[in-house]
Amino acid sequence: MRAFDYAFRQGWASLRRGGGSTLFAVVAIALAMSVLGALLLVTWNVERLLARWTTSAEFSVYLRDDATSEQRGVIEALVDQSGAAAGRDYVSKEQALVRFRTEFAELASTAAGIGDNPFPASIEVRMQAAAEADGRADALLKKVATLPGVSDVRYDRAWLAKVGAGLNALRRAGGVLALLMAVAAAVTVAAVVRLGLHARREELEIMQLVGASLAFIRGPFVAEGLLQGGFGAVAAVLLLWGGFSVASASWGPQLTAALEGVDPQFLPARFCALLVAGGMVVGGVGGFAASRHAV
Amino acid sequence: MITTHRLSKLYGRGLYALRDLTITVGKGEFVFLTGPSGAGKSTLLRLLLMKERPNEGEIIVNGHNLANLSRSEIQEYRRGIGFVFQDFKLIQRRTVLENISFVSEVIGVAPAQQRRRAFQVLKWVGLQHRMNAYPQELSGGEQQRISIARALMNDPALLLADEPTGNLDPDLSLEIMNLFREINAGGTTVLIATHDRELIRLVGRRSITLDQGRIVEVAEGMRA
Repeated sequence: MRAFDYAFRQGWASLRRGGGSTLFAVVAIALAMSVLGALLLVTWNVERLLARWTTSAEFSVYLRDDATSEQRGVIEALVDQSGAAAGRDYVSKEQALVRFRTEFAELASTAAGIGDNPFPASIEVRMQAAAEADGRADALLKKVATLPGVSDVRYDRAWLAKVGAGLNALRRAGGVLALLMAVAAAVTVAAVVRLGLHARREELEIMQLVGASLAFIRGPFVAEGLLQGGFGAVAAVLLLWGGFSVASASWGPQLTAALEGVDPQFLPARFCALLVAGGMVVGGVGGFAASRHAV
Repeated sequence: MITTHRLSKLYGRGLYALRDLTITVGKGEFVFLTGPSGAGKSTLLRLLLMKERPNEGEIIVNGHNLANLSRSEIQEYRRGIGFVFQDFKLIQRRTVLENISFVSEVIGVAPAQQRRRAFQVLKWVGLQHRMNAYPQELSGGEQQRISIARALMNDPALLLADEPTGNLDPDLSLEIMNLFREINAGGTTVLIATHDRELIRLVGRRSITLDQGRIVEVAEGMRA
């Protein structure tokens, strides 16, 4: 406990003595954590949108124009008996045309010029969330696609999976970038902490001669790195919050529209805490690397 | 207290700082190491402080063979040794009191105990009134007294001093030697490296003269 107390007191003192070089290290960590935080902020909000889409996911069974009511009845019975559907609606050809005219009002003139109604009748099936996980949704999809009277089957989930994959790719690319920046930040912290180490060379020599333990000798440098990392990460969170507030105030309605009615939210407290902890780990690693030159 | 057996320290090709050195310093003894520059005095002190390792031979201090000590045992061993250097090695940005209590602080001694002991040793060297001064505000003699006070903080069984009067005038040198004599009178073994033969004569204790890493003379002192 005394070593811990000593490490943080000396680390804090060294941080204050560091001046410009300390600021440099804090900015490096803040930049790395800002990239990671921005990535988290984007993916967090897109994931919320995806979650909403996922809960309202449905598949559409498009019927051939010559499909009979008996064939439709067979399809509806299969859906009802599958246990995978939360509900279904029949959309006739006429209803599909009306829906098109309502949702795409700007194309009303084009639709007016169409002679025969080109929109197929369909059965829209809302899936149970659990049916996706246990494979019942896929099984139902395959069975329905083979039934007579069915011209096509479209399942949102496939599209959602593509969006999810895109999001994962973005997360990976951002993660690699954040990792590179974190390594650069750790190297910067190590260099800055080593400057302080050289300034304390005489003190370190005395510490070794009087038999101070490694915790006392190296602890202050690790603590200094942890503090630099913590301050850098807090700065990054504040920077992100400021940017988010400005963006929300300036383009709130546009952002909500882009997220299909989902209000953009700032990172939850647990993510902010994770960012700060991550910054401290990066700084601590830098401080630890520097401290190896102390003995 | 200290026994070395056929101790050798080699720097570079064929350059011996110490060669086949066998000496014994008894518990509670006051011994001078003397000889010209490069005789091996400081090297022997560095080996005793375990700042360096010998190439051959062994060192036994207080029953411990230094070659066999683990890292934590080295830390423990060093806690029983006080050291004083010619250049004082005081930390310039710490006050006198901080310089002294620092050596107890970094081995985990409780703050109250640190302060109590620091006042005690400062009073003993007669500099309690300068406890809030910084080293650069003190004279050479005062700085060396602070350095001695620091060496006494952990109540060492062995005190090593490397040219402790090298930067001081003769009067101050004698004053510092008197402090060492008082420390020795309290039971601490004292080993001082110095090239000042006049000082050795005045203090009148056993002296071991080295030259080119070997013992060339051992003189039993006449206690002054």
